[in-house]
Amino acid sequence: MDDIDAMFSEMLGEMDLLTQSLGLETLPPELPSSSHQERNFSIGFTDLNESLNELEDKDLDALMADLVADLNNTEEKLTASKSTPSQAQLDPPSLPPPLKDCAPSALPAPPSTIIPTPAPPAASFQAPPPPQPSKSLPPEEIEAQAKSDKIKLALEKLKEAKVKKLVIKVLMNDGSSKTLMVDERQTVRDVLDNLFEKTHCDCGVDWTLYETNPELQIERGFEDHEYLVEPLSAWTRDSENKIVFLERPDKYAVFKNPQNYYLWKKDKNALKDMKDRDKESLLVENFCRASIIVPDLEGALFLKEDGKKSWKRRYFLLRASGIYYVPKGKTKSSSDLACFIQFDNVNVYYGMEYKNKFKAPTEFCFVLKHPQIQKESQYIRYLCCDDQWTMTLWVTSIRIAKYGTTLYENYKAALRKAPGTSVWTNRTVSTPSVPSPAPKAKAANGHGPQAPLQPTPVTTIISEAQDHHGNEATPSSWRPTAAAETVRPPTLPNAAVFPPPPPPASASPVPSPRMVKRPPAGAHQHCDTPPPPPPEDYLPPPPDDFLEPPPDFVPPPPPGYRLNPAACRDIPPARPPPPGTSASPVPAQRKIPPPPPKRTTPVATATSGGNMS
Amino acid sequence: MAVWDLSVMVEELGPEAPPLTVSVTSDLHIGGVILKIVEKTQIKRDWSDHALWWEQKQQWLLRPAWTLDKCGIHADARLTFTPQHKPLRLGLPNGVTLKLRACFSSPVFRTVIGLCRVLNIRRPEELSLLRPVEEKKKKKDKEPEEEVYDLTGVPLTSGSVPSLYNGMPAHFADSPQTEAVYKMLSFTQPSPAPETIAKMYRPASVVDKAHIHSRWLDSSRSLMQQGVQENDRLCLRFKYYSFYDLEPKYDVVRLTQLYEQARWAVLLEDIDCTEEEMMLFGALQYHISKVSQSEPPPMTSCPAMDDLDSALQSLEVKMEGESSSMDMLETMTAPELHDYLKIFRPKRLTLKGYKQYWFIFKDTSISYFKSKEEGFGEPIQQMNLKGCEVAPDVNVAGQKFCIKLLIPAPEGMNEVYLRCENEKQYSQWMAACRLASKGKTLADSSFTSEVQSIQAFLSMQRSNPSAQTAQSDESINTHSLVSPRYHKKYKAKQLTPRILEAYQNVAQLSLTDAILRFLQIWQALPDFGVSYFVVRFKGSRKDEVLGIANNRLIRIDLGVGDVVKTWRYNNMRQWNVNWDIRQVAIEFDGNVNIAFSCVTANCKIVHEYIGGYIFMSTRSREQSDVLNEELFHKLTGGHEAL
Repeated sequence: MDDIDAMFSEMLGEMDLLTQSLGLETLPPELPSSSHQERNFSIGFTDLNESLNELEDKDLDALMADLVADLNNTEEKLTASKSTPSQAQLDPPSLPPPLKDCAPSALPAPPSTIIPTPAPPAASFQAPPPPQPSKSLPPEEIEAQAKSDKIKLALEKLKEAKVKKLVIKVLMNDGSSKTLMVDERQTVRDVLDNLFEKTHCDCGVDWTLYETNPELQIERGFEDHEYLVEPLSAWTRDSENKIVFLERPDKYAVFKNPQNYYLWKKDKNALKDMKDRDKESLLVENFCRASIIVPDLEGALFLKEDGKKSWKRRYFLLRASGIYYVPKGKTKSSSDLACFIQFDNVNVYYGMEYKNKFKAPTEFCFVLKHPQIQKESQYIRYLCCDDQWTMTLWVTSIRIAKYGTTLYENYKAALRKAPGTSVWTNRTVSTPSVPSPAPKAKAANGHGPQAPLQPTPVTTIISEAQDHHGNEATPSSWRPTAAAETVRPPTLPNAAVFPPPPPPASASPVPSPRMVKRPPAGAHQHCDTPPPPPPEDYLPPPPDDFLEPPPDFVPPPPPGYRLNPAACRDIPPARPPPPGTSASPVPAQRKIPPPPPKRTTPVATATSGGNMS
Repeated sequence: MAVWDLSVMVEELGPEAPPLTVSVTSDLHIGGVILKIVEKTQIKRDWSDHALWWEQKQQWLLRPAWTLDKCGIHADARLTFTPQHKPLRLGLPNGVTLKLRACFSSPVFRTVIGLCRVLNIRRPEELSLLRPVEEKKKKKDKEPEEEVYDLTGVPLTSGSVPSLYNGMPAHFADSPQTEAVYKMLSFTQPSPAPETIAKMYRPASVVDKAHIHSRWLDSSRSLMQQGVQENDRLCLRFKYYSFYDLEPKYDVVRLTQLYEQARWAVLLEDIDCTEEEMMLFGALQYHISKVSQSEPPPMTSCPAMDDLDSALQSLEVKMEGESSSMDMLETMTAPELHDYLKIFRPKRLTLKGYKQYWFIFKDTSISYFKSKEEGFGEPIQQMNLKGCEVAPDVNVAGQKFCIKLLIPAPEGMNEVYLRCENEKQYSQWMAACRLASKGKTLADSSFTSEVQSIQAFLSMQRSNPSAQTAQSDESINTHSLVSPRYHKKYKAKQLTPRILEAYQNVAQLSLTDAILRFLQIWQALPDFGVSYFVVRFKGSRKDEVLGIANNRLIRIDLGVGDVVKTWRYNNMRQWNVNWDIRQVAIEFDGNVNIAFSCVTANCKIVHEYIGGYIFMSTRSREQSDVLNEELFHKLTGGHEAL
């Protein structure tokens, strides 16, 4: 083998000489400049003037105020620490920023803190070596101490000065746009909060910062924990990528209706009227334990073959460790599976209009690629699903596998920002109280695993439900209007007669003889339960249009691939979290653990030890 | 009242001694009988642990106030006066056998609680005792008796929390022997030899796995009642895969043993995983065994130690504060690597060989120049490795040390090979590439350890596994880290780079984090925590498999292995056991009724499994320290509990 290797490389060397003599020395395309260079550029503008002109007056004022504050800061710091070399802050970097519409020097580079969040630890590594600020330490120890303090301070300031900032243009769903400055320490969540302030929207959990890439015809929502500057830095200088601020019900749909993702194999009818306590327990099971559980997802998908326009059908399985496929002639058993992709280095995107672009079998495509890849490449994986729901299921499940608990933490953070959310979502906030090894998950109210099952008192539910209705009236919301809800048929008669089945815990503890047990026991138990509360408190049977697997989100419509938020309005709204439908008030019994199984044979085969009866 | 003779065996009189005869009346209570026996033996000793065992009825007479009449004892009864605590050989999850005293008279559930208290394992309800697989006694002259740790000298305390001494429970601090036992309990065992793994029993099918689960002891009856004799061997295992409130600070032994059980489950293919997952498990095992050899022993904390810890920490912080400005300066003047290396970029149509350039590695970027002299000018090219993929392409025997880089760029991934001259150069550049791919620079504190671990891996590849004399820490055979399936599939040499690749992502973990990561990946496997039983569903003519997990029941086709149906406990209304026809019947919401009889296991075991999981789900924070034993028995005991 090694001989061949040697021969081969020798041959290669000769060929190399040949190519060189032909003057074909080809250098690889320039890689994006090192990311730790300080850069200030704007995204989504063709030039800086435009970017500044496009600023609404108010925004411009705000931006200016930021900058002035930054400058003041700089000055203060400069006076505070003489050893700080000033040119580090004043000189724009000489390295070309990757965007053509960069505005490197127009904006002063202030060592500012736009947000008070402490710089992530990564920042310290990113800081390039500055000019040496100090020559030597004086002999006197006290003096040395004072000096080293100063140096420390100066260095910290320097680090701060190196914080990368971008001016970005965010498209709103009404066609307008907002301009804001983000620095590399801001998460998407921070930016969203910023936008909430500027737009007076309802601050719901579905608001998303969305990235579209027209060249690849892909898009994805940034996750709330991402540092926005990071993915934006991967954009090329001639990029036509856009950032859109819009509501995407698919963002956190899995936490609103986990059953659609975790029990997707089950009967659809059974899923749609799942009780809230069951949803909660699903979330607890899958997100609050030591290890995150990804939906048990598998099925045949089309895979676009490398470099060809043909699509091949393969059987794929999702596991926490990646996507696998079943090789030809092999079984689905774990050890036979071949790894298709792991998620460490890729993001998942929706592919738009691929029927046209790639002759895809359907329009329901998703894409896996390294975030830095911006143009077509053999390293991009294209997959195509039979229907929209399958695609949603895969994309969401891949996000769960990739981000794990972070996704759930994001959701809970989003909930805290969202005022007056529905009962169900409000109550989910209490789930972190469930014991989980993660020290972060604080026991908000000290409830244990069973505790979340405890229904909220009816009164609160109603008031919260009212809140919810009020909330739905806001125009910017995608939720069905209150009017739409009244169309719903009233509660089924028998739902009022039989309270929702109790958890196993509430099964009758009355021992009944032999196997004859259920009917009498059941009857007995129903008598025991408190009188059924007003019907609204039960889950109303969902309207007919929900008989389909709940399309929890509808991706932007195909016409005009370019994501037009205004057009999204036409899409049927996603199913809202059931307002006030939840929490069957079967009090007290909830906490009772399940009863012992019926003693069915009176005579035991052996008496228990020491207990002579 | 008529006086009659009761004969009682007393072990202390010797094995050959005839039964002792005491004259009793039917209204004499058990306590009185014991008093008479003790007087008659004329042996002076502590009899407090002794109790009467009724041979024919297989039961203990533990109520001293009950009269013989009430107990139903007549002159024909054969009683034995015997200690309630007897030595037991306990197989631990880590494969070590430990001899200790266990209670033979209380229900197994409580016996396990006692054992776990001695072993310092919290949450004893998750564990139970399993009869071992019968060893085939083909070879009479088997290898010398395995080392047996002995804890029989340790008295069983009834106190709730054992007091701590030197970071370990006080009862381990008695002697060097007991300290060794604690070390065995709280440290992971070294990787087993590949031959050991290959020789051990591996369940080949789901039916084999089902047979393992037929061996669980009944939690509501005592050891003695289940035919367990003094000095018998039983296995202590985590039975319910619902690990509550794992806290590395208090759970040193529990975590270690849980890891050992998980590790063996993976190595013996008791749980299926993919090749990629196996490599990651292998890498974690390698890392754990390496770190546990170098790290100071994990100490169970005690308040005093905590204080000391925090004091030390604040001291450290203080010292750091004093030196940090210097540190920062050093960080700012980032170190760099520079050397002549060869580079090769595979291109679609051009075939080019390796070309030599002068390379400089700084921060997270590699730059290269025509020669050293030009190293101060503009580089031919600069590559930022942040976010790139790094893979080794190494053949130690062939002296080939290449680093394969996949560097992301807008156009796709750029494939670049760097060829180093020797091991030393390779390990440094490789370590730098790996750190850079994660956004860390050479200045990062982990650089040195990264270099060392790469060298360790290279030496693994260099040494011929068959010629290995002793398994030193530096040269673990990679076959020890994976299941036998991969022994057949790959040579140890081929496995090394695969495991090394996976190792990159875990190399920086601390011991506890690595163990927790191992457990996490284990728990994320699709088949995790499913206990199998062969059952016959009512109305079905063929045997099927019932899988019991912590949140659901699974019906599995025996032939194909496909999941037919799952039912979640959440929807369960009630379940019953008909002990006459040995049938379990369960009712779920929506009038779903299922019933099955158990083929491989006693239906009590199945019943206890389901009830046990429901019990596990009732645990909550408020009552975290109180184990509701009564509830457990109510849920799992069946008729005997009532």
